[in-house]
Amino acid sequence: MLVDMAAKVHQLAAAPADGVAGLSQSFRSRESLADENERLTQENLILAGKTQRLAALIADNARYRTLMNAASLVSEELIVTRIIAVSPDPVRHAVWLDKGTRNGVQVGQALLAAEGLMGQVVAVGEGNSRALLITDSSHAVPVQVNRNGVRGIIEGTGQLSKMTLRHLPSTTDIAEGDLLVTSGLAGRFPPGYPVAEVTQVVMAPGQSFAEVEAKPLADLDRGNYALIVATQPAVLDPAALDIAP
Amino acid sequence: MMVPANARWVIFATLFACLMLSALPLPISWSALRPSWAMLGLFYWVLALPHRVGMLSAALVGAILDLIEGAPAGGQALGLVISTALLQLNYQRVRQFDIWQQSIMMGLLLALTAVIERWVQELLGFPAPGLRYLYPALVSIFFWPLVRELLRGIRRYYEVT
Repeated sequence: MLVDMAAKVHQLAAAPADGVAGLSQSFRSRESLADENERLTQENLILAGKTQRLAALIADNARYRTLMNAASLVSEELIVTRIIAVSPDPVRHAVWLDKGTRNGVQVGQALLAAEGLMGQVVAVGEGNSRALLITDSSHAVPVQVNRNGVRGIIEGTGQLSKMTLRHLPSTTDIAEGDLLVTSGLAGRFPPGYPVAEVTQVVMAPGQSFAEVEAKPLADLDRGNYALIVATQPAVLDPAALDIAP
Repeated sequence: MMVPANARWVIFATLFACLMLSALPLPISWSALRPSWAMLGLFYWVLALPHRVGMLSAALVGAILDLIEGAPAGGQALGLVISTALLQLNYQRVRQFDIWQQSIMMGLLLALTAVIERWVQELLGFPAPGLRYLYPALVSIFFWPLVRELLRGIRRYYEVT
């Protein structure tokens, strides 16, 4: 399959650099390893503590949701994946991942970094897949403002630190510093994951729409690992929406 | 009279090395500054041995480039075939150019390739605003002398014909 072949080529190209990195990894001092181990143990403890609270919160949340007659909160299964390559195309923001159909990856699943949404899987091979990042100029995500639930669609611009929210009426309540989270509308992305922070709002008099710029929260250019949300992504079927022609 | 092919593997090996350089991981913010190694390598061989390396090789290199970029269709393959055809029609003239004239010629051919690739992608619905897609062509201008001298050295050492 093409995705697998491309991944193999990238692995071959990255082999010398990976080799050097692996070598320096295996020659690290005992001291630095002990330090790291201690730091990770502490971090683990803190995270474990936080997770305990999380369980209670999820239960709470589920109860509230039943009270509100809303759909139940599904806990998502996450697949840890390594980013093995970045597309060399200067106008395309895409990465290759080392998990494929063999590991349950499907087209349309969301890709997460530690800080927020990274992108979505667009092609899968047997053991590899390719994901489009949210800053790619052909990518868009339905989001809502975390503060007040205002909905919009955030688009990539082809620049790593800039995204735009388009077609927001200029009377919309949105301000700098607002957190944008996935709204879950259209069913492609699971709801509630942080996407971007609003950096600039221009409401020009006479314009029908506000110009809103945002900065993605995830470090799209850094890190080796990412998470794939292993849910079944919804396929939007226009026939099912019952739209009169 | 046709000279029999000698050391054809050198062409494959250098093109392969160029493709590997093109696939080398770079941070996204730097990817626009990467010279188009594979295309420069291809253009060198087209100039040096137009009877060995032509549009078929160009299509192959372009298809591999499309593959490693994850591009939707053979945009680069098409672009490379067209610019290679132009170079093949004019190789005798281009060979006589001095090194900077030649470099600018290569930049133009790469820009043409990039524009054709963009056309194809734009038609397929993959927009990319801005002129960022032309940066590699610009950067490559300064790398042509290096690529030419290096590959010429290799070609003479192995007597590739």
